[in-house]
Formats: sequence, C-alpha cells, structure tokens
Amino acid sequence: MQDASEHLTTNDRRDFLRRGVSYVAGAAAVGGASIATASGLSANLPPNEPQWGRQLGTGVVENPYGLPSRHESQVVRRTVPWLTAESISSISMSPIQDLKGIITPNGLVFERYHAGVPDINPDEHRLMIHGLVDNPLIFTMEDLMRFPSVSEIKFIECPANGGMEWRGPQMEALQFTHGMLSCCEWTGVPLKVLLDAAGIQTEGKWILAEGADGAHMSRSIPIEKILDDTLVVYAQNGEMLRPEQGYPLRLLNPGWEGNTSIKWLRRIEVGDKPWHHREETSKYTDLMEDGRARRFTYVQECNSVITSPCPENPIRRKGFLEIEGLAWTGRGKIKGVDISFDGGVSWQPAQLKGLVLDKALTRFSLMTQWQGEPWLIQSRAYDDSGYVQPTLAQLREQRGVNSIYHKNSIHTWQVAPTGEVKNVQIT
Amino acid sequence: MFKSPKSIVALTFAVSCAAGLVHAQDYQIGTPATALEIAGWDIDIRPDGKGLPVGSGNAIDGEEAYEMVCASCHGVFGEGEGRWPVLVGGEGTLADERPVKTVGSYWPYASTLFDYIRRAMPFTAPMSLSDQQVYDITAYVLYMNDIIEEDFELSQQNLAQIVMPNEDGFFVDDRPDVQNPRCMSDCADPDKLMMKGSLAGVTPIGHFVEGADAPAASHSGQHDLEASKEAERKAAITGEEPAVAEASEPAAMSAAAIAGESTYKAACGVCHTNGLAGAPKVGDASAWVERLQQGNDLLISHALQGFAGSTGYMPAKGGRADLSDEAVTNAVLFMVESQH
Ligand code: HEC
Ligand code: HEC
Repeated sequence: MQDASEHLTTNDRRDFLRRGVSYVAGAAAVGGASIATASGLSANLPPNEPQWGRQLGTGVVENPYGLPSRHESQVVRRTVPWLTAESISSISMSPIQDLKGIITPNGLVFERYHAGVPDINPDEHRLMIHGLVDNPLIFTMEDLMRFPSVSEIKFIECPANGGMEWRGPQMEALQFTHGMLSCCEWTGVPLKVLLDAAGIQTEGKWILAEGADGAHMSRSIPIEKILDDTLVVYAQNGEMLRPEQGYPLRLLNPGWEGNTSIKWLRRIEVGDKPWHHREETSKYTDLMEDGRARRFTYVQECNSVITSPCPENPIRRKGFLEIEGLAWTGRGKIKGVDISFDGGVSWQPAQLKGLVLDKALTRFSLMTQWQGEPWLIQSRAYDDSGYVQPTLAQLREQRGVNSIYHKNSIHTWQVAPTGEVKNVQIT
Repeated sequence: MFKSPKSIVALTFAVSCAAGLVHAQDYQIGTPATALEIAGWDIDIRPDGKGLPVGSGNAIDGEEAYEMVCASCHGVFGEGEGRWPVLVGGEGTLADERPVKTVGSYWPYASTLFDYIRRAMPFTAPMSLSDQQVYDITAYVLYMNDIIEEDFELSQQNLAQIVMPNEDGFFVDDRPDVQNPRCMSDCADPDKLMMKGSLAGVTPIGHFVEGADAPAASHSGQHDLEASKEAERKAAITGEEPAVAEASEPAAMSAAAIAGESTYKAACGVCHTNGLAGAPKVGDASAWVERLQQGNDLLISHALQGFAGSTGYMPAKGGRADLSDEAVTNAVLFMVESQH
C-alpha cells in the first residue's frame, strides 16, 4: 500500500497534478468549434432557423409510455461485471453523475437481485402476516390499497456502496464509487397498521420479512423500527413499483441497509428472536480487523459525495463554477455539508438546496471560481444526530479493511489543471 | 321530530369521520390465513431449531445429491467453480489480510445452512429439493467442513445443538464507532498527506473515456473478453491459432426449437449462455462440434437424466425437476438449432 501512495509535499503535488491529458486545451478547441458553427457551419444555429422549427414532430401517444430524448441515451444504469459471477445475482449502479434534484427516475434506480427479477401477476400476489399475532391474515393487493396510504421521499442505499475501495481507490467513475444509491417518493401503508390489524402479541419483538422471488430473500427486523417508520409500499414516484424494485410490493426501511427493504414482499412473520438468516450472517455482517464481526448493522451512516465535478463531469471552462453534490444519512436529516479544496486541510460550508428531508438525498452547492488550480476536493456532511462523516483513516483504524460494508468516508476527487477529475484517496 | 335532509347528511359525515379515527384493528381488511396456507409458506428456520421439518439425513446420502445438483457451481469439494461461492475451508483466516469466509469458517449457526439451501438453492431451481434432500445435503456440507462425522444422522432434534466454529465471532452493531470533530482549518499537515491514485483498467469507463483499457460493460461481454484472453493465452503456449467462431446467417428454426426458447431462458441460460460451471456455451461452435455428433437423442437424454462429462456436471433437467420432458426436449432443440 505504501509503495503505491505518494507523499504530497507541495512540489510533489504540483508535479502530480501536471501529469495527465490536456483537458482545458480540448475545451478551448470545443469553444473554437462553436464559434465556427456560429459562422454558418451548422444550419441549426442562429441566425438560421433550425430544422426542427421547419417541420412537424410526432403526435400524441406516439410513445404511450414516454421515453427520454434519444440524445440522453448515455444516462443509464451500469454494472461492474467482474464483481459477480453472472447478472442474475448481481448489482447495477444509478448514474448519479447525470441526475438533478433529489429524485431518482424509476428506470434509473439501482438494481440488486439475488435470483433475478420475477414476473409477478399482482392478482395472484399475497402478503401473509402470521407468527405471534392474534389473527394471521392474508392481504391481496386490492386489500392493501384500501388502507389509507402515505407517501414519503426516502433514499435507498446498498451497504456495499463504496465497498470496493476499503484498500484503495479502483473505481474510475462516480457511478461506480457511489451509484448503489437512489431516492424516490414511495407510497404504501405503514407496516404497523397491518400488524395492528393482525393484533401483534406482546412477546413479538422481531419480524422476518421474506420475498416471493427465487431467492426468498429474508431479513430479521426489530419491532422498534416497525413502530418507528417501516412501510409496505406499492408505488414509487407516482406509478406502481417497477419489477426491478419489487413489483407489486416491497418493504421500505427508511435509512437502513437497502437489502432490509425486502422486494416482492410476500410474508411477514412475527417472532420473539431474530432468525440469523444467510443475508444477516454470511453476508451483511462487517468483519473487523481482529476477525470478529458486527451484525445487524442496519443504519446507513451519514455520507456525501461531490457529483460535479467528478470523473464523468470534468471542469470544461475556467471561471464560474457551481460545485454540487449529494448528502444523506440514515439517522435523520442532513444538517450541513463542508467542502475542502486542499485534501481536508481547511474547510468551508456549502449551502443545502431544495428539500431537506428526513432520510432523503439532500443536494448541496457551493459557488466558486476555477482558474486551473489543482484541487483535492472533498465534501463532509453532518447530520442532526451530531454525527460528522468520518475520514477513511478513521474508519480503517476502527475496522481494518475487510468489512466490505458501510464505507461512508469522506471522498476525494483530484482536479487537474486540465480540468480532468480522478478518484484518489487521501490519508 | 322532522329531520331535514341536510342534517342527515351532516350526521352521516360525522359517523364516517369518526370511523376514520378508530383503531386500526377495525379496518376489517384482509382474510384470515388458514393453517394450511401458512404451513405452505412458513419455510424459515431459527438457530433454536424452530421451523425445522420432521426428518433427518446424513453426509453419505448427501454426497451424491450434492455432486449432481450443487457441484457444478460450488465445486466437488465446495471449493467453488470460477466466481461461484466457496462453501468449505478458511478456518482461522478471519483476521488475515485476505480472510476466507465460508460456512465452516464464518457462519454462526447450522440452521442458517438448512434454511438457505431450502429457500434459495440450487440457484437455478430454488425450492425444488425435498426436506430429505435438504437434510442430506446440509449434512454433507457440514461434513466437508469437518463439523460433523460422515455417518452422523442430522435431524430435526439435533440440528440446533450443532456448534459452529465461529458462533461467538459476532457482536451487535455498536456504531457510531468513530467521532470526527467538525474541524474547519489547519485540520491536517499538508506536507504529511498521502495520496493514492486509482488503479487503472478495472472499471468499465468506455462510455466517457474514449479508448479506455477497461473491462467489458456487461456480464456476457466480460465472459467473452475472459474467454478470448484465455484462448490467446493457450494459443501462445501451443503455438496454434485460436479457433475463431465463424459468423453465419442464423438458420430458420423448427417449431419445437422456437417453443423451447422460453424454457431455455428460464432454466438453462444461466449456465449455457455464458458457459458457466463448464457448460457448453450456446453459439460457441468449438464447445458443441463433438456434442452435436452424438445426435439429438443422446443430447436430449443427457439433458433429461443429467450428465457428468469432461467439462462439468449437467444436472438432470438443469435442476428443474418440475419441467416436463417435452419442455426440456424443446430447450435442447433450441440450443442445438442455435448452433447452425
Ligand atoms: C447454477 C449455480 C449454482 C448451483 C447449481 C448451486 N448454487 Fe449455491 N450459490 C450460487 C450462487 C450464485 C450463490 C450466491 C447467491 C447470492 O449471493 O445471491 C450461491 C450461494 C450458496 C450458498 C451461500 C454461500 C455463502 O457463503 O453465503 C450456499 C450454502 C449454497 N449456495 C449451497 C448450495 C447447495 C447446497 C447447492 C445444491 C443443492 C447449490 N448451492 C447449488 C450458485 C449455485
Ligand atoms: C447448473 C448449470 C447448468 C444448467 C442450469 C443447465 N446445464 Fe446443461 N450442461 C451443464 C454442464 C456443466 C454441461 C457439460 C457437461 C459435460 O459435458 O461435462 C451441460 C451440458 C448440456 C448438454 C450437452 C450434453 C452432452 O451430451 O454433451 C445439453 C444438451 C444440455 N446441457 C442441455 C441443458 C438444458 C436443456 C438445460 C435447461 C433445461 C440445461 N442444460 C441447464 C450445466 C448446466
């Protein structure tokens, strides 16, 4: 590890940052080209009337379910194929480098399946509630939609987000360092309402939630969480859940490891003890340096990342620059975000913008100027529980490098004088 | 007293408002779940043995079943084929630089193994094993991990008493475990900062870096990439030219083959599309030349009955005992005719 690292003396830093391709030169060329087009190379630029203004477009219901512009075809989920043996038990990442605001469009929500996406007929889907309840019940989808509904904006994050980088940086793009993260408006029924209907018994301290897919994914959840904010949801961002997100029904444990929000939810059993199933023993436990492991590490702790600039969004022009990013915490609300340009030596507060909601993505922004200085740019979020996003060194000191999950450390982008952005780690 | 229609409306309104406030139990939504319905779905097992079905099994009987339905992915000795999970070994490595977490080295309870095999394995045919088979195979995996003896009869009564080596290796979440003060200036000595740059070539970044030397962006692309690298490596050793599959116009398929495509996708493709676990990849001429010479009848009977050849294990019906012979036959025809 030591060999691959560089000591950042002031000179070294300049030298390091001088290497790399000439991005700004490229940007200048682009600028030049647009001047050329203004002189008449493209018939679609002023003073010419563009082609699309001289003819008719397509009519209504040409796309009964609308699609993004064909010019946005690069905004898609992506995977890192070598992470898993095949695509059926695998993961893909949201293109958070291209998204605006705090809502992830339904087709771009990150995917994680353990046995692929099942094709479920909602008329034949059932939710069973049994175990330590007075009246075991079965609900149809129609039943569930008769209950008074609630809609809430919450993020979902895989606890393995960032987990490929405990030992060192190796993902050369934001989509892969932080894209196991999405945020939607979810609509459904609080699980406590359904448990009340079944009459939960006093010994009932845990529930087991189980999916209807081939993995029959199962997790134990303590009853306190359910009384707090667990939902059973059937809709996201205004429409029924996407098959990838659990159609027709999923659990939503706001702020907790994504895998506890069981998709294709078919069964809730109430018990007096946890079940210690495969996804809470073999997986989703955090191995420490001494060989012991944390279990039931449910909360996604406070985290943040700068989304612009980032490797996919290099700085293309000198002058005014808005630095933007996302912050989130499973413990409550984001209270603030600080930005550093010098690898964490000094910090200044950013602004939170738009909605600041409980357990939702929160956007932050800082207006600045860039004149080609090399930057080591970082964001550090803190939440209303008083928790401040830690450094990687602090996490490694506590946990070692083998815990896979819950790496929520401050992230560094190296901005070269060319405007090019690289993923680096500072310790 | 005479009531005006207006006050009746008001009264109804008051009643329905009150109904909106009553306790949740009074929604009266949902149907009672019968004992039979619950029994069919209640598959979970707990460490104390709660949920285990009546029955027992042992490693001697489990060995054959394991080799037929599990070994193609997890290896004959549980060592894992390719990137599929390793099930055996790793004891004493949890504090190492590169820990090996397996059923034997990491899992705290034997009940989890029974539960998981029953709910999710074999990967291509979940919930297809009988309770007897799950007891046998669970016993075999425990035996391979030196946790029980070969002739130990694992049962509903004794499974909960089995002590796994790492049972005490877990503790409950005690985060927050780090405290970062919100320092604003002079937070570190700039000359002591260490920077580590990203490894190059392991992320698929072709979508924004032209000509990046990166892995493929999809699983099938990655398998092709690895296969062609492997062919080049072999060719470099043997001096022979790597076999290049010739692209030809797809021929028209028979009706049976067309009917077989959906079965193929649901039950066979997981192994045969990317050539996993030693399965001959559909469309890879060199993997099929000799097989095709055997004739369709033998290929079909191998697919129906299962087949241990020189490259791996083909589980009977791909592990999907629920499929009809006709569906599997059509899937084989789809595979065969995709070769032309
Ligand atoms: C087609 C390949 C395949 C076959 C056949 C298969 N498995 Fe698996 N097995 C997998 C995959 C893939 C996973 C990981 C699934 C996941 O993480 O979502 C897995 C996971 C497991 C695990 C958990 C490993 C861990 O460390 O968490 C066990 C135990 C297991 N399989 C046992 C079996 C047994 C027993 C059989 C035979 C009855 C079997 N498998 C057949 C592919 C297979
Ligand atoms: C768990 C992985 C797996 C699944 C699922 C699977 N196969 Fe196979 N199959 C194999 C392997 C491995 C071989 C190669 C065995 C050998 O020759 O060593 C094979 C070989 C075959 C062959 C060639 C047999 C021969 O005689 O050369 C046919 C035909 C075949 N499979 C059909 C199917 C069909 C049809 C399905 C779906 C119903 C299916 N397979 C599902 C792994 C699988």
